[in-house]
Amino acid sequence: MEEDDSIDLSITRRNLLLASAASAAVTALPAEAQTSGSPQIAVEKVHTHKVTLQVNGQPKTLELDTRTSLLDALREHLHLTGTKKGCDHGQCGACTVLVDGRRINACLTLAVMHEGAQVTTIEGLGTPQKLHPMQAAFVKHDGYQCGYCTPGQICSAVGVLDEINRGVPSHVTADITVKPLLSADELRERMSGNLCRCGAYSNIVDAMTEVAGGVR
Amino acid sequence: MAKTATPRTPRAGAERVDARDKVRGAMRYAGDDVRPGLLHAALVPSRIAKGRVTRIDVAEAQRVRGVRSVLTHENIGSFDTGGFLMGGGFGFQSFFPLRSAQIAYRGQSVAMVVADTLEAAREAATRVVVAYEAAPFVSTLDDPGAEPIDQSVLLPQPMFADRKVGDPERALAGAAATVDLHCELPAQHQNPIEIIATVAEWKDGVLTISEPTQNAEGVRHGLSRQLGIEATRVRVLSPTLGGGFGQKNSLQSHTVLVALAARQLGRPVKLEMTRAQLFHNTSFRPASRHRVRLGADREGRLVGAIHEIDQQTSRHDLFPSLGTEVTSRLYGVPNFLGRERLVRTDVQTPGFMRAPFEHAATFAYECAVDELAHALGRDPVAFRLLNDASTDPLSGKPFSSRHVAECLVSGSEIFGWQRRSQQPGSMRAPDGSLVGWGVALGIYKAAMAPAIAKVRLQADGAVRVSVGGHEMGQGIRTAIAVTVARQLGAPIGAIEILLGDTAAAPQHVTAGSWGTATALPPVLDATRRLLDDLRQHAGAGASSGTTALELLRASGRPFAEAETRARAPGQPEQVFGRLTGGLPAAAGPVYPDFVAFSFIAHFVEVRIEPTTRRIRVPRVVSVADCGTVVSPRTARSQVEGGVVWGIGATLREMSEVDKRYGGFLNTDLAEYVVPVAADIGRIDVSFVGKPDTRFNTLGAKGLGEVAMVGVAPAIVNAVFHATGKRLRRLPLVIEDLIG
Repeated sequence: MEEDDSIDLSITRRNLLLASAASAAVTALPAEAQTSGSPQIAVEKVHTHKVTLQVNGQPKTLELDTRTSLLDALREHLHLTGTKKGCDHGQCGACTVLVDGRRINACLTLAVMHEGAQVTTIEGLGTPQKLHPMQAAFVKHDGYQCGYCTPGQICSAVGVLDEINRGVPSHVTADITVKPLLSADELRERMSGNLCRCGAYSNIVDAMTEVAGGVR
Repeated sequence: MAKTATPRTPRAGAERVDARDKVRGAMRYAGDDVRPGLLHAALVPSRIAKGRVTRIDVAEAQRVRGVRSVLTHENIGSFDTGGFLMGGGFGFQSFFPLRSAQIAYRGQSVAMVVADTLEAAREAATRVVVAYEAAPFVSTLDDPGAEPIDQSVLLPQPMFADRKVGDPERALAGAAATVDLHCELPAQHQNPIEIIATVAEWKDGVLTISEPTQNAEGVRHGLSRQLGIEATRVRVLSPTLGGGFGQKNSLQSHTVLVALAARQLGRPVKLEMTRAQLFHNTSFRPASRHRVRLGADREGRLVGAIHEIDQQTSRHDLFPSLGTEVTSRLYGVPNFLGRERLVRTDVQTPGFMRAPFEHAATFAYECAVDELAHALGRDPVAFRLLNDASTDPLSGKPFSSRHVAECLVSGSEIFGWQRRSQQPGSMRAPDGSLVGWGVALGIYKAAMAPAIAKVRLQADGAVRVSVGGHEMGQGIRTAIAVTVARQLGAPIGAIEILLGDTAAAPQHVTAGSWGTATALPPVLDATRRLLDDLRQHAGAGASSGTTALELLRASGRPFAEAETRARAPGQPEQVFGRLTGGLPAAAGPVYPDFVAFSFIAHFVEVRIEPTTRRIRVPRVVSVADCGTVVSPRTARSQVEGGVVWGIGATLREMSEVDKRYGGFLNTDLAEYVVPVAADIGRIDVSFVGKPDTRFNTLGAKGLGEVAMVGVAPAIVNAVFHATGKRLRRLPLVIEDLIG
């Protein structure tokens, strides 16, 4: 691998964690993080990197500990606390945001992996004066109780309808040639990565059904 | 599974007052605190289940860049226990980590790191080196070292005694038909989606705590005791919780650590627990075993019942079992014995998890009732109707209101129960699935706690309501707003409701489904007093159509205010001392002139795939008797949520224990399986809606927990109807149905 000062974009989270822990393996990191010739990784040192994200249409540049998840970057650094942390392990979906149009769990990705990406959080859907249609539908159908999973549910719901429109199949798609793929079972299946302990699932599906214009 | 769905009619009733905030991500929870100067904390959990810390080395942790402090039992200084909620104290358990080297349970905190960043705190936490001396431990009810002891011996108060009326042994001996069954239910965890975050800050000697809690007053007084400072110098804020379900109903064992760190460092400190840590650092539903013996005469009338329960507790506290308090009142059984035993295990103290005793006890009892009905060849609904009660078998007092019959009749009509063929395995779906239809009752006490409510109207139109309560999604804020708006003729948007703030009003724990019954009557009363006051000051000028605001402006006063204190029937005036002291003070279900319970009937359809035995629940019909329904929209959602919980408790949830390690193994949301959207079909909810004005002026009984009770036996009874198999252990697994 060519040794240069720029960050290796193929770096994985696992490699970064190994590098910043006490490990002998040195992967390609920004030059300032490498100690010349020394085999010892200094645990005191914090590896940081600059990244610019397009968040809700605004460019945001951060200098971050490379271990900072996208979720923590949004919440702790950009103070966009609408996106929630429910598990930090990609198991609950409360941290769902839209990155370059696709829904992802923000806790399962590092901020520094998304240079230049378009990030849409719940704060970026609609405005205080004019709710996004999905937000309005959730209000109409009482698609929440405690509200903690709600931002993730709404971002995920927006992502789901887009996926269905693009013809992306799911586990319950019986025939991928039938269009549209929209059905109650499809909505339920695709939303099963967003846990709601208050049990508002039926209302959430009702809200999505309305935005989708009804289901077969 | 349903292949098509028509969009259902829009929700009846007013939208929640916090609806817009919730869908815009503008709702603020404790963990959303990003105030300037905030430091971040991380806990270090114990790797052994019992014993002591012999050495703890923080040097490596301290070397991590950004670390400010590493607290252990050796350097944190002394602080008091917060006591046990059920023992005159405030904590979910009496054992508070970092007060000594003792390890009482796996996952107990042994240190806390405080650092400039979350990443530094978490990294440093992994670098704290701990050596232990391990001791043998007991982790399950059937562990050889587990010893059940009669609760009546351990806890000599009347409320924990055996419940007995008549001569049940004799009645069973003479019965025409009897059943005798044993049931087992596992430990489970509440797992609200919000993870607990605690923020502590000191200013001029006053500590302010932001933490999601259902008991702000308990946290306040508990910390006051632990830190040795006046309660006037502690303020606790919990305006909005991301779900409670009992996990947050008392002082947690970590809160004082955050307060101590903030004081030591002179900076605000935020501790964000991890999901895994929640499994060992808060309460949970204890494992239980049940034996139910039931007997009926030839006509199908229940003549005798003996219900025995063994329930898990910790080594250091006795969390009581109260299951027979409700099963004794399900039917009019004249001879009843309820006996409870506690089993100490080495774990953090279990506690209240939605319908903490009622879910398990009613599961066992309603399975037995169903089995007895079948033995006598009776329809399960008809059998239950025949055994309806009009007075409490234990005390002889009347029920304040009881509409069990209407729940059953109405529910069976909506469900289409008359099309059920009785023979197990006789109903099949077109796709070959076995179809099963089951029914069960649910019951939960109607409780009430003391409260002080203040309503204030200002000349600019703003209305401010202060009362004790905590909003965790049940919609208490909305119920209050709707009530006040209607009384005053004020727009809902003008009403500010202060909940969960110890500086605004005393905050009794919001639990036991008593939140609405506790807060709303005094709010309603205070609002009426305010109107009376306004009318008096307006004098002859007031006409009947005038709004409260018009009356106030006509009087020329800048504001008007009214305050009301309310307590449950039979409670003495001294109970307000408990309220302001942060101690539990709820009453019920037994009152001087009546007993009070909420009821529900659940009708469940299951579909079982014949080869894989996979169980689906495509539809549930639930009819609830909770008195007045104050806010239809939120009430309906509560019952749907309760049914989802019932499905999870029956088919998914189990906190797994390996006897070799203690603690819980599946400490994350992938391995602790809760229902997801694909698990849930149609849930049809309706309400009897008859006000129980004997209980309170509003006529409202509780709803949040009765919603869940009875779902589990209804599912299991449906599985019997589909397969002919009686399953007695939850959660149901496929192995139970094979062979």
